[in-house]
Amino acid sequence: MKEIAKLGVILLIIGSVAAALLAMTYELTIDQILQQRLIKDQTARMEVFPEAETFEAAPEEVLNEIKSINPAIADVYQAMAAGEVKGYVIKTRPGGFGGSIDVVTGFNLEGEITGLRVGTHEETPGLGANITLPDFYTQFEGLDLNKKVGVNKVSPGDNEIQAIAGATISSQAVTDGVNYISDVLTVLEK
Amino acid sequence: MDIKIFTKGLYKDNPIFVQLLGMCPTLAVTTSAINGLGMGLATTAVLASSNVVISMLRKVIPDKVRIPAFIVVIATFVTIIGMVLEGYFVDLYNALGLFIPLIVVNCIILARAETFAFKNGIFSSFLDGLGMGLGFTIALLILGSVRELLGAGSIFGISLLGAAYKPALIMILPPGAFLALGILLAINNVIKQKSAA
Repeated sequence: MKEIAKLGVILLIIGSVAAALLAMTYELTIDQILQQRLIKDQTARMEVFPEAETFEAAPEEVLNEIKSINPAIADVYQAMAAGEVKGYVIKTRPGGFGGSIDVVTGFNLEGEITGLRVGTHEETPGLGANITLPDFYTQFEGLDLNKKVGVNKVSPGDNEIQAIAGATISSQAVTDGVNYISDVLTVLEK
Repeated sequence: MDIKIFTKGLYKDNPIFVQLLGMCPTLAVTTSAINGLGMGLATTAVLASSNVVISMLRKVIPDKVRIPAFIVVIATFVTIIGMVLEGYFVDLYNALGLFIPLIVVNCIILARAETFAFKNGIFSSFLDGLGMGLGFTIALLILGSVRELLGAGSIFGISLLGAAYKPALIMILPPGAFLALGILLAINNVIKQKSAA
């Protein structure tokens, strides 16, 4: 009995020290990590809508209305050039194979996709993770958001993309993220 | 003496080709040469450092609860490295970040803690971790190169076999991992038998 208590106490100490170290590291790094993610987001927005000069977060009531339609839409930015709204950059979080995937999609006022990037994700390295490669994401450029974007394994037709071999679920997930936007286009047009 | 502690991991006791440890990340991430290299180097860093920490704590940790203690130490270590990399070494994190959570469950690290670091001094443990890690890296690099070459016709993304080669896609899919590893193990065994005879 005495020995069990002793072992328990030692494990408790090890666990506590580990927890304290983790908490400390978290406190020390979280600001920096969040800032890096912000920079990443900003860079992603520039990449998916190169014509924009600045990006402005959409008004809160618009965002709230959009989120009430589809909670998987994370944020909405207006792409501005010469003081006018030229298009939108929307981040969605569809569920992939390993967890949720951040999909950043830029599109102009006609609903044509100007670019797409994949941010934070937990897909399988070497398979699903290939959604972050240009070969995959450039397929979305020029597709029309007024119709649903489709996924095809072999020969993609009109408004379809080709799935990555062995990673259909991840490919479908990114496409889902794009299609979430179609559901809220009418809100943006107001 | 010391040099052997380092070199045994490279070939003689290679964690993949001889000990068959850490099969899960090995099979999962070696779809390309660069992935194999990334996973290998990230593991090497964690392995060498966790060996040092375990070796330092070997007098404190009681024998009976060493396994849970190892797991807590390793998991803490990996998580801290992950957070620091994401905050301060963004480029490195972008390249290796994906592999870091996988390292927590890599049994090579637990195996080296149990069989070596818990019984040996700090410097020897560091050398052991470094050697085993590099052996792991070499094995993953070979496996990743073979699979990428056959499955995509390239190594490190550089096309080697030309457009006429029709990639055997199965090699970069999960079954290809088993095929490639099996064949490499067989080749290694043949070499060993030849050199022993």
